[in-house]
Amino acid sequence: MTRPRLRLVGGVCAGFAEHTGVPLATVRLVTVLLSFCSGFGALLYAWLWVTVPSGGAAADPLPKSSLARSNVASTLSAAPIQAAPAALSGSEAMIGRSGFSRADTDSGRTAPVTEILLGLALLAAGSAVVASRLGADIPLAVVVPAIVVLAGTALAWRQFADIRSGAAQQSSALLVRILGALVLVAVGILLFFVTGTNPNAWTVILAAASVLLGVAVVTAPWLLRLWSDLADERAARAREAERADIAAHLHDSVLQTLALIQQKAGPHSDAARLARAQERELREWLFTGSRSGGTEPATDLAAALRRIAGEIEEYFAVHFEVVTVGAGVGVRSAAGPEANSSSTDAPESLVAAAREAMLNAARHAGGAVSVYLETGARGIELSVTDRGPGFRLDQIPEDRLGVRESILGRMRRAGGNAAVRPGPGGAGTEILLTLPAATTAPTTDEHHTETSVR
Amino acid sequence: MTDHNSSDRAATEPSAASAGLRVLIVDDHSIFRSGLRAELDADITVLGEAATVDEALARVIDLQPRVVLLDVHLPGGHGGGGAEVIREAAPRAPHTLFLALSVSDAADDVVSVIRAGARGYITKSASGAEVSEAARRVAEGDAVFSPRLAGFVLDAFGAVAGETAETTEELDRLSARETEVMRLIARGYSYKEVAGTLFIAAKTVETHVSAVLRKLQLSSRHELTAWALERKLL
Repeated sequence: MTRPRLRLVGGVCAGFAEHTGVPLATVRLVTVLLSFCSGFGALLYAWLWVTVPSGGAAADPLPKSSLARSNVASTLSAAPIQAAPAALSGSEAMIGRSGFSRADTDSGRTAPVTEILLGLALLAAGSAVVASRLGADIPLAVVVPAIVVLAGTALAWRQFADIRSGAAQQSSALLVRILGALVLVAVGILLFFVTGTNPNAWTVILAAASVLLGVAVVTAPWLLRLWSDLADERAARAREAERADIAAHLHDSVLQTLALIQQKAGPHSDAARLARAQERELREWLFTGSRSGGTEPATDLAAALRRIAGEIEEYFAVHFEVVTVGAGVGVRSAAGPEANSSSTDAPESLVAAAREAMLNAARHAGGAVSVYLETGARGIELSVTDRGPGFRLDQIPEDRLGVRESILGRMRRAGGNAAVRPGPGGAGTEILLTLPAATTAPTTDEHHTETSVR
Repeated sequence: MTDHNSSDRAATEPSAASAGLRVLIVDDHSIFRSGLRAELDADITVLGEAATVDEALARVIDLQPRVVLLDVHLPGGHGGGGAEVIREAAPRAPHTLFLALSVSDAADDVVSVIRAGARGYITKSASGAEVSEAARRVAEGDAVFSPRLAGFVLDAFGAVAGETAETTEELDRLSARETEVMRLIARGYSYKEVAGTLFIAAKTVETHVSAVLRKLQLSSRHELTAWALERKLL
């Protein structure tokens, strides 16, 4: 049972109506009628108000319609339970009139509880005075304790609201005040019986039971909250343990199998490509925790390179061995001034140039390609080494912009350097991108979407 | 070639060359074992297979293979995996060398087996030819570094931050030459290519790599011991 967002006062009646399927109007009517029977109802309404959680904003934006939908099918034990909370909607109306209505408050249920209870206490005192003026026989033995109890409950509630809202105070002071409130409630209930006409053993027993009940009512919301917090935490821990189990199992079995497939199928086959993609996804999930991998833009240079490697591997028969060394370096966005980007961050154009180099290697060489990133005091050094046929820069026609523009030009504009040279032992190609440490050159990289060919 | 044989207890042993190299495959997945067995070069004799720590210990002591291709994660024993196999078996199989194979890229996994005494580390995605080559290299007393392990070494020894060892005795830092070699291996160069690029003999590259392996095993550098302590290796 939850209280809807859209509410007249506390939403207790609406929540109750939705929960049980009884029409809202009926609940309200019964509540009003029963509220005249005794003062007991007011307390219970307040209690329900604070104990029943507020429905989430997303839970049901249109409680009215859901009320209409909710059928009367749930006939369970509605009737007997209904009486008590229903008795309270009357006070809802009363409070509404006395200016305590907080129907549209966003802060939910914690805010007005204290005021309401104090208001009820005042209301009780006021009506007692008026009634006695009118000549009615007012049992002071009942009214005075009732006022004390309400005041005590209000005080207790103030503390609980503080606890829950996280406004941490000195715990000893808090404890003293809670105890004071509880004592106040207990004394009030005791007064009912002690000031009674002819005390006997039964009234004493009843008094003791009432005190216990009173304390229970006052602390119930707090205990309930504590208990639900505990349950939440336990569930979270169980989920985490289960996830670790699955991760261990996947690591042992599925990763092995994927590695085997790649090994058997050879680096150029589709099977190996698929297995590699799956392996990468699984690794991401296993080793980066519950973070949803791959969707958010990588802000770490190493992560960005791995992501690019993954993307290219999906389309080409190539395997990138990405090795990163040194402190993590972020990626400075060229789009605009990022609040959290420091001057040590790599410009986006470095990433773009690296991507182009890797794409070239995938396209023209394939097989195993090494990507090595070193970030240190000297700056950033990134090399892409393939074992393909190799090429010479001066053999590329002038109009081919791939290497010349998107790698060499880009790095130059970013304040760095790019070199294309034959790979180790004269085979293949090695593209070396360097960016000296304190480069503050503005990244004026126009984002061309050229197709790179060489 | 400098004298670094103190750590290569088996390297001084007159091995039966690389021909007829006797290996044992230890992995808890039978598919992987049979797959690897089929892929290995013809001149490598597979003596047997083992799937758990206890099985591996028994086989290693019983068969005395030259090289054990050892998975890092293994069930059984005291939960120590491949590292436990190395530590337990090494005293009773003095001429056996261990080459770690793993799907894991995690630094602590790699470091645990290396510090336990493995002579090298390669990933399981390596081809049969690559594994064969690595096994042969290990059998000849050399260390085998994957690019990733080289990258890790550069990181862990602070070589990227510019720390350089002053003397050859220093265990906690790499010398300038070792740093260069590691950097090229991390770039995917083979030993021969490293030698060609640095204009040094291939044997010298192997010396440097072995020296780095020794440092990796013996260094008390914080970054290394942190993992070792975490895994209760020290």
